Amino acid sequence: MTNKNTIQPRILAIDAGGTMTDTILVNEEGQFVVGKAQSNPEDESIAFINSLRDGLNYWNLTLEDAVPALASSIYSGTAMLNRLLERKGRKLGLIVTAGFEDYLRMERGIQTYLGYSYSDRLHLVTHRHNEPLVPRERIFGVRGRIDLFGSEQIPLYENEVREAVHKLIDMNVEGICVNLLHSYVNPEHEKRVKNIAQEIIRQRGADTLLFISSELYPVSQDFARLNTVLVEAYAADPSRDQFKRINRKMRELGANHELRVMASHGGTISTEAKELARTLVSGPIGGVVGAQYLAKELGFENVVCTDIGGTSFDLALITGGQFTIKTQPDIARFMLKLPLIEIDSVGAGTGSFVRLTPSSKRIEIGPDSAGYRIGVSNPVSGLSTVTINDCNVVLGYLNPDNFLGGDVKLDKERAYNAIKEQIADPLGLDVYEAAEGIISLFEDHLRNEVISRVLGKGYAPENYRLISYGGGGPVHVAGYTAGLNFEDILVPSWAAGFSAYGCACADYEYRSDKTVQAQIANLEDNITPFAETINSAWRELKDRVIEEFAKSGVKPDQVEFRHLLRVQYVGQLNDVEILFPGDEIKTAGDVQIIIDRFEEAYAKMYSRSARSPELGYLVTTAIITGVTESEKPKLPTEPLGPATPDTKYQETRLVYYKGNWEQANVYQMDHLRPGNTVYGFTIIESPNTTFVVPKGYKAYLDAHRIFHLSPE
Amino acid sequence: MNLKKETLVKKKGIGWNGMRLKDMLEQSEQLFRETKRYWGIEKLELREKDPIRYERIFSSLRGGLVNARETALNISASPIVKEIGELCFALYTPEGDSIVLSTGIIVHVHTMSDAIKYMIRNNYEENPGIRPGDIFSNNNSIIGDVHTADVHTIVPIFWEGELIGWAGGVTHEIDVGAVTPGSMAFGHEDRYGDGLLLSCEKAGENDEFYQSYLKKCADSVRAERYWLLDERTRLAGCHMIRDQVYRVIQEEGIETYKQFIREVIEEGRRSFKERVKEILFPGTYESPRFTDVPWKNDPTVSAKARRDLIMHAPLTLKVSADGELHMSFEGANKWGYHSFNCAPSPMQGALWVQLTQTLIPNDKINDGAYYATSLKLPYGSWCNPDYEKVSTTLSWHFLIPAFSGMIRSLARGYYARGYLEEISASFPMTGNILQGGGVNHFGVESAFTNFEMSSEGTGAMYFKDGEDCTAAMWNPEGDMGEAETWEVLEPLLYLGRSIKPMTSGPGKYCGGAGIETVRMLYRTKQQTLFNGLADGHVFGSAGIFGGYPGNAGYRHSLHGTNMKEIIAKQLPYPTHDGDPENSEVDRLVQARENVFDKIATAGPQLFEEYDIYVSVHRGGPGLGDVLERDPALVEADLNSGKLLPRYAESIYGVVAKQNDEGKWQVDHKRTAEKRKEMRLNRLKKAVPVKEFMKKERERILKRDFIEPVRDMYQSSMELSSEWREKFITFWNLPEDFEM
Repeated sequence: MTNKNTIQPRILAIDAGGTMTDTILVNEEGQFVVGKAQSNPEDESIAFINSLRDGLNYWNLTLEDAVPALASSIYSGTAMLNRLLERKGRKLGLIVTAGFEDYLRMERGIQTYLGYSYSDRLHLVTHRHNEPLVPRERIFGVRGRIDLFGSEQIPLYENEVREAVHKLIDMNVEGICVNLLHSYVNPEHEKRVKNIAQEIIRQRGADTLLFISSELYPVSQDFARLNTVLVEAYAADPSRDQFKRINRKMRELGANHELRVMASHGGTISTEAKELARTLVSGPIGGVVGAQYLAKELGFENVVCTDIGGTSFDLALITGGQFTIKTQPDIARFMLKLPLIEIDSVGAGTGSFVRLTPSSKRIEIGPDSAGYRIGVSNPVSGLSTVTINDCNVVLGYLNPDNFLGGDVKLDKERAYNAIKEQIADPLGLDVYEAAEGIISLFEDHLRNEVISRVLGKGYAPENYRLISYGGGGPVHVAGYTAGLNFEDILVPSWAAGFSAYGCACADYEYRSDKTVQAQIANLEDNITPFAETINSAWRELKDRVIEEFAKSGVKPDQVEFRHLLRVQYVGQLNDVEILFPGDEIKTAGDVQIIIDRFEEAYAKMYSRSARSPELGYLVTTAIITGVTESEKPKLPTEPLGPATPDTKYQETRLVYYKGNWEQANVYQMDHLRPGNTVYGFTIIESPNTTFVVPKGYKAYLDAHRIFHLSPE
Repeated sequence: MNLKKETLVKKKGIGWNGMRLKDMLEQSEQLFRETKRYWGIEKLELREKDPIRYERIFSSLRGGLVNARETALNISASPIVKEIGELCFALYTPEGDSIVLSTGIIVHVHTMSDAIKYMIRNNYEENPGIRPGDIFSNNNSIIGDVHTADVHTIVPIFWEGELIGWAGGVTHEIDVGAVTPGSMAFGHEDRYGDGLLLSCEKAGENDEFYQSYLKKCADSVRAERYWLLDERTRLAGCHMIRDQVYRVIQEEGIETYKQFIREVIEEGRRSFKERVKEILFPGTYESPRFTDVPWKNDPTVSAKARRDLIMHAPLTLKVSADGELHMSFEGANKWGYHSFNCAPSPMQGALWVQLTQTLIPNDKINDGAYYATSLKLPYGSWCNPDYEKVSTTLSWHFLIPAFSGMIRSLARGYYARGYLEEISASFPMTGNILQGGGVNHFGVESAFTNFEMSSEGTGAMYFKDGEDCTAAMWNPEGDMGEAETWEVLEPLLYLGRSIKPMTSGPGKYCGGAGIETVRMLYRTKQQTLFNGLADGHVFGSAGIFGGYPGNAGYRHSLHGTNMKEIIAKQLPYPTHDGDPENSEVDRLVQARENVFDKIATAGPQLFEEYDIYVSVHRGGPGLGDVLERDPALVEADLNSGKLLPRYAESIYGVVAKQNDEGKWQVDHKRTAEKRKEMRLNRLKKAVPVKEFMKKERERILKRDFIEPVRDMYQSSMELSSEWREKFITFWNLPEDFEM
């Protein structure tokens, strides 16, 4: 182990899962260790400290030594999501526009099949509504109507507001959410509801919390906005107490920085941030942020990020150094209005089940999966259906004695028998032939996804590098990139922990969105109204970001602001996000820049034939992002060694590949030195992942401990 | 002359090996007739030799289709396409048989197939010619489509000079330039009011639309912006499919591709039959359905359309022991001077849609299923008109109820085999459809079609109630969209959107409830609005195993209201209509004219600012005996407001009362007594079947029916001697019987 005195842990990333809490500690050299502990949802700070202690053990450090040296701590976790999925959130009341009290019983039809497979989307008898987050009896309507132009068509019936608030307080709700139609364009009615509610709460001595849609998420689409406000109040906001506890523990141990949380827009935010719901999903985001950081450090701009876990294949593009953001994602079967890094998730992971359809005997992979239970080859899994992992074990790609570093012993024969009985025999195939066929089908499926995403955006693989990570990525990367001429294929040696690493790479960044609906006037016309609408929205948003940073003592002059817009053709429903290269729209030339940037982005994103400049342009959303300095991990750099790996560590085993048994060289990842090149067939094993270099390929390990895979 | 003929004969076709497309199609059909197998394929060689490779080709092609749809969705402007997903793509063989398809309104997988076959049969190869980069547009239902609102873009795919297939895409338009605004205008007499008609028209070449074509479309429709963007949506998707086909051919070779596309259809046919054998019980299932057109005294429709009539759909489903499925509408009554006539192509498409939602909900469906089924549609009837100029803008009004019997027939088949979890009591109508147009709130002439109707209640299932506001017969992926989005298109303010009481079909398990919305016109002087796709006097669907149908609807509109005054005085305004016998709208609003009747489907009507329009949707039908419904469920229905208190006892025999907090609670003892009493009453009322039939026969002999019923049966007998024979034999009527 490294000498205690030279170790200075600088960055801490916490990944609090449902069963395990992982902590990743990164030192000044970019080296890192992973600590693990049992999760404790009641008090997350306990699990956090245990996990941190476990990690520090590798460096022989105590909590008291290490914590004061840390420069930043990033949290990501599943507590909010679990609270939502298990319906264990706050007891809420809801005030909506009169006549819409059935919002949550009706939902939108789409929520009855969100997340379903293709088959089940067609299969109507499987469609189900969600259990509402707020029961019907705690939802009250108040009369009054603002129209889409922001005009008051019907004044607010304030007596109805009073009655509703009193009733909700009678019901002992912990919080009241307010969502009125078109409040994003004119929040006056919601403001009035808030004032009345505050007055009544005060009078009655209650401590009811208020969540106002126009304050939290001033964006169009009433139902998705409502969902977002509810998720915020129901599942996200209750985590603040946990964060406070962790922060307190950290301070007690001498930390002089505050905890930040990974957010869906790809930055980290304070635990005091207004919009905490955007920290609901952070898992897959870390990887994309990490890839973006890697690209920046290594000096390239276009990256395809691919992450294979047990249940899914996650895919994201970084183009020109930027990932794309979608503003209407769905999470846990809810349509939401939040900025979320665009990540396509395909229900195909290494734990995906493989079956034959009963009537036609055609191979089906997924969409359901064994997840952490691995497959039939795991004797304690209780599983009887073949998975992708089982095929990998039978073919010799995975070492049954070194799965998760040997924590789980896999039984090759169990997998063999299951494949034989369920797949090979019914199809009249040899077991190895069947297993390899399944793997090629699986990799093909992933390859189709990769290529369609790249081509769908109007690019070619030649313009991109591909990064593969997650426990399953490196096993299949050669297969799912076969024949696609990527500029380079990168496999970081820390692939299994790459998502957590990515969280540590994230900027301290706030992002604030507001729906504006400003049509771009004819350039010869007066552009002032258009410019003023956007400039004033930007000013408002900038104030919000400044306010958020102020909670952590960050001053405006420490923040780098970026001004963005979402633009679409008039009448179209899909907007595209562009960066405006200034901080204010002043001239017709500025408007032309917006148009040009939109046209360029649109043509790339969709099809050139879909361009429709004759419709005119509409700015739907103004956005401000603010970034301030935060410490990030350095890339590890080691001196280059010889081109050939030390054969003393080399072992061999037989693998089945392209219809033949091949002798494969096997290395432990730790034994390979920068500068080494291995030639296929080679298998590189580490406790959390296996990297397969098939025949006809080679892999070079560079000074940063990143493998580069290429055809020989 | 002779010379010219010779050059024609010698001219090489664009089909495989220099064949003409027409010959390829004829050969394919002949081989199917002779062998009962697609292209006469006996052995699935590719699949048997290399099942993995076969699957890889399939997944590559289908991945391309799904991706085309997802990407294209982002181009469209129309919420119907973008939010509701009324968009679908498919890939075809050179002869027009579908190979793979995307999700979406897959009724059109077959209608586009018909359109391609029309072009082939009518020798488009010669004139106007089919060349690489060509674009064809179609929305002619007689050729192959449901109605003018659904526009096809069809693109031929060539490889080294040979036509190797077609890519097709379809979207539902907001307006089609019909005689009145909206995508499915009705009330007129015949096709001349149906709007812009595109009959497999060549719309462009070299991958671009003709400027003249786009100009014509823009000039012919309202809401032209949406139309034009949708043209681009479909074209971009077709081109993405074509690119994917090229990639597959580059990887697998053209010969493998050619072999694959035929095998995969033959395999689709075989696996469909296997599935039928596995899950259904052989036999003949009958489930007729009806719906009403109460237009005799309706001034909103044109003179020829003013008749009271009932649609007759005597559906018969035959499941053969070897897994073939034969459906027949023999006995359907005559087409009419209204817009609810239906061409064979959409009937076939509807069969397909229902199969994909029920028997074969998987990603491997294609026209193989079509080759394993048959559909009999009597010529001259509403579902196969013998007059090509009929109007078909709203075929769904007849088609939807007609097919509800198919789901109930399948349910009986599943029951016989024990597949209880598949059973559904079927679907309701998908109305009310709110559509119309005029100078809108932006001050421009426009039109709209509200697709909230894609989320009706679903039918009760064997173990549970149906789902509230979830889907439509024609699209399982229903979505009612967001109120704020619809308000961008429609100058009608939402005063409320809620679950409508008494829409669920009662039963041991109830259908899912429908919704209702109350809309008020604002920022517009005048709009033309319709009510439609709605049953008023006749239930468009039925329950199963003793369950009742869901609600039939009504029309409720207020013209010349005092809403302005109500708002100014902050008096309560209606947010729902609620119990129609105690309408909230009527209670709170005064009007110059209050239209409140059962003419649930009515032609174009004029509305002005502050007028109120109530849109009542449908709940799904119920399953099982109402007296077997768990009283706890009835209690929950009462407390959720789905069931009006006065019906708890009269329908379910459940006695309940409200506690101090206003919650309903069941009195179990009195409920048991009440149910016992109701069962005894049933026994008292019951008569032997023989006696019942005798009485009914007398009624028939006396023709003791209202006029539309008499007309309906007479028309069915006139069109079909087979059905007449069946009717006369069943009721033992004299040979010369006439209704």
